[in-house]
Amino acid sequence: MNHYDVLIIGAGHNGLTAAAYLSKAGKRVLVLEKRPVIGGFCVGENDTPALAPFPRGILRPDIIRHLSLERFGLNPAPVSTDLISLLPGGRQLVLSADTAKTVDSISQFSKTDAARWPAFVRFIERAAAFLEAAYATPIPRLPKFSLAEGIPLAQLALKLRALGPKDMHNVIRLLPMTVKELLDEWFESEELKAAIATLGIHNANLGVMSAGSAYNLLHQYLIRGGSSPERNGRGWGQPVQHTHQVIAALEQAARAYGAEIRLNAEVARIMVENDRVTGVRLHSGEHLAASTVLSSVDPKTTFLRLVTPEPLDPEFVWQAQRIKMRGVTAKLQLTLASSVHPLEAIRASASSSVFIIAPSLTYLERAYDAAKYGQISEKPYLEMTPTGNLLSIHFQFAPYFLKPSAWNEETRRILAQTTWNTLNEYAPHLQSEITNLKSLTPLDLETTFALTEGDPHHGQILLDQFFFMRPLPGYADYKTPIEGLYLCGSGTHGGGGVSGIPGRNAAKSVLA
Amino acid sequence: MPTPTYDAIVIGGGHNGLINAAYLARAGKRVLVLERRPILGGAAVTEEIFPGYRFTEFSYVVSLLRPEIIRELELPRHGLKILPLPSTYTPLPNGDYLAAWADHDDTRRELYRHSPRDADAYDDYARLMVRMAMAVKPLLALVPPDPASLSPRDLLGLWKTARYAASLSEKDLYALAKLITQSSADLLDDWFETDALKGTKSASGIIGTFLGPRSPGTAYVLLHHYMGEIDGAFRAWGFAKDGSGGVTASITHAARALGVEIRTDSPVKQVIVKNGRAAGVALENGDEFHARVVVSAADPKRTFLQFVEPKYFPEDFLTQIRNFRVRGSSGKLNLALSELPNFSPRSPSAARFLASITPDPLTLYRGAVSISPSIEYIERAYDDAKYGQPSRRPYIDIIIPSMIDPDMAPPGHHVMSCFVQYVPYDVEGGWSDERKAQFAENVISTLEEYAPNLRRAIVGMQVITPADIERIAGITGGNIFHGELLLHQLFFLRPAPQWADFRTPLPGYYLAASGAHPGGGVMGAAGKLAAQEILKDWK
Repeated sequence: MNHYDVLIIGAGHNGLTAAAYLSKAGKRVLVLEKRPVIGGFCVGENDTPALAPFPRGILRPDIIRHLSLERFGLNPAPVSTDLISLLPGGRQLVLSADTAKTVDSISQFSKTDAARWPAFVRFIERAAAFLEAAYATPIPRLPKFSLAEGIPLAQLALKLRALGPKDMHNVIRLLPMTVKELLDEWFESEELKAAIATLGIHNANLGVMSAGSAYNLLHQYLIRGGSSPERNGRGWGQPVQHTHQVIAALEQAARAYGAEIRLNAEVARIMVENDRVTGVRLHSGEHLAASTVLSSVDPKTTFLRLVTPEPLDPEFVWQAQRIKMRGVTAKLQLTLASSVHPLEAIRASASSSVFIIAPSLTYLERAYDAAKYGQISEKPYLEMTPTGNLLSIHFQFAPYFLKPSAWNEETRRILAQTTWNTLNEYAPHLQSEITNLKSLTPLDLETTFALTEGDPHHGQILLDQFFFMRPLPGYADYKTPIEGLYLCGSGTHGGGGVSGIPGRNAAKSVLA
Repeated sequence: MPTPTYDAIVIGGGHNGLINAAYLARAGKRVLVLERRPILGGAAVTEEIFPGYRFTEFSYVVSLLRPEIIRELELPRHGLKILPLPSTYTPLPNGDYLAAWADHDDTRRELYRHSPRDADAYDDYARLMVRMAMAVKPLLALVPPDPASLSPRDLLGLWKTARYAASLSEKDLYALAKLITQSSADLLDDWFETDALKGTKSASGIIGTFLGPRSPGTAYVLLHHYMGEIDGAFRAWGFAKDGSGGVTASITHAARALGVEIRTDSPVKQVIVKNGRAAGVALENGDEFHARVVVSAADPKRTFLQFVEPKYFPEDFLTQIRNFRVRGSSGKLNLALSELPNFSPRSPSAARFLASITPDPLTLYRGAVSISPSIEYIERAYDDAKYGQPSRRPYIDIIIPSMIDPDMAPPGHHVMSCFVQYVPYDVEGGWSDERKAQFAENVISTLEEYAPNLRRAIVGMQVITPADIERIAGITGGNIFHGELLLHQLFFLRPAPQWADFRTPLPGYYLAASGAHPGGGVMGAAGKLAAQEILKDWK
């Protein structure tokens, strides 16, 4: 029987990142993946990149460096794309890493706003850099931590202070704000505010007028590649890097460092004896032993389904049950007749851009209102990512918890029809080009990609699920109440998005 | 330069201004209070709007007033008398009701009828909230330290705050962190299943705030309202004898006894600045008063943007004050009634049950009546307001003061105070008479669904919108807390970073009202804490 030091559940980007780090450090690692393909939600069914919940993403630069991912085919410094807001009457607003280009575009709407843009980007950059530092800091259990554990926290506090009093106040103040309040303080153009505000509600069960949406804006900006010296201002669009390329590089790296990966190997149970992990049991009945197990599956599934509740404290179980997932995102994929750029007629030059439909803050808030009452938005916020003749569409809000009935063929039809109607309004020429439309409802995201409640972030990006409270209060150090069992997925500190942060941090926590 | 006649001038004779003046006078200072209106009290007043009917116009319940202030200023000796509200009664559209009673066992029985599970959870929930309120309380009595400052005072404050946090158990610390950041809907969904219970409890999370119960941050506002205390018993709300004006009268009496001079009908035009220091005030009628320090008990916007020329403040500071959120979200409907509205349960089984709890059918009218059947109901009320409309079906918190204090209305008649949310300050098209009538009609038609005789009982009606609160009580935006209790407007960020210690960028000028830490309600903490800081600077 093979002996492994570490078993990792799930071959998504975080599972692979942890596998690469751990095998590079000399551990014998086996990754267990339930699907027949590697990549988790980064890779779609039948390997169609466009129908993956995250078609594009970007790993943090230090992970690319540490794992030498460049050697394994990853472009280390991908260009990021423009975020183009399609507005009624064929107008457009472009947010780009290229400041001059953005300023030029904004000035069609407001000269004052155009003048303020560079300062706004600088502020968001500094704030996101602090958030990144926070995500890289191991969080000890509060309030009684050892001196050694306190050092990284103290360093983080010094980083916050190093921002200077004004920025420090502004960063602290930003986190609990509504994204509307934040933007009202900076800008006057409704079109500009709405375009930026999409980052505040992206994948979140929040509206632009919900407190905490400014924090989500910062998080989205970060995971889109913003905030690092070499990527200044690049957090607006999604990076060009397709996530299946990220996955391919991570897989090669993990294997090259010695990790093994088994497909079609669904874990049924995490085995625990005397509060210590002993291995896993697969659905096939096979037992695999290891003293260290990392789960990249979301914390709810890990604690409530893979670990039987018996070894866990009832209060811990109570809290795990209450982790807020509540997905609100559906994904659609359009196949277009020709391989011409789908939105060519309205913008020929932007072959790698991301397009959004978000004409005003009120439009976005009304889209969210529907979700509060379990309805699909009649006028949704859409984000469209073209890849060849495929168009991947992010649809919000399509709540997992629909009322009165759950997701079925009828509600799937409504989802498609609503998308169709919205496109017809903002990109009418597309209609004749569409040859095929596929959709992933939040329920599909759950059944296909094991995203509980269809939440791509494994737990909403909310202030009460942030920092030392993510995934659960007291467990932001990737450890669990079961010795030897670690979490390394998006539901943990720093998680949410294809950044690799949790995989990296969890591996470090195992090796510490 | 004229010699200052006073040690301190306090602008605004609301409860915080009077408390601040009383504490300064208690330390031997010569204090003058200037009030714009002919009566004292600010938003804590009782007025006879219709002959024989006395209304507690704006604020209507007492509970947050700090017990140490009641004790130190000996307010009971000066006439303060608080009559407890024995119940909160939530009538339901289906003719049933839910009530919370002063007697714990009664509440439990009541809840059990709706959900045995909730009845069990209720005790644990109540214990948690009391523990959390206890955990927050010491922070309310603290001058918030600025984490960005390196001054010894701030560093010491930070050390004390950290020490305090470390003294909490791990469990309480995490629970508190959750509570401060989550939505009241999430908090209550974690515990309960009965819609009316969650609706009624979530209502305290939105009061004075322009957020819906599903927005993060509202759980803190809910906790803020848990902080109330009468005779040491948590979560007991009361009604002052003679209404909120009764509270003001006792504080005024105490202040005068300590030597405070008070002038009404004295609207302040401007703060006089000499040699870079606040040196007195000029009234609108041209009179001038001079003092060593000037204290403003007005809201931050008036304090910094109206009373003082902008050149005395740094531009950054003014931007922060302009960005301070003071969106009024609530209004009032004060009704004079010829008979009691009939909120009694229409469902016979519910009526029988109510009779088993209290044989006296009038008991429920001595407590609060809350129109809050579910969280969704309140969230929908919010949806109207965020697009600039008064809620079609608003949350209404009702008390009938004449049932508690018969002196408030002619015999057999009643006054009824309806606190209504949401009523946006920025109503679409602005506040006109038609708009006001529409708002009043929304409230009356909502109430009629629960008390069918209400409309015919109305003999007089006072409608108060946020615009009226601004005009009458002088609070910018008509926000009852002088600034919303949003997370980014609390503690060291209230009213602006660096200036949460009651001082202002203008030496000799202080802020001593709800817009300062720890915020709103008839609490008095800001008035007292500011007095302490002023006296520290005196040395």
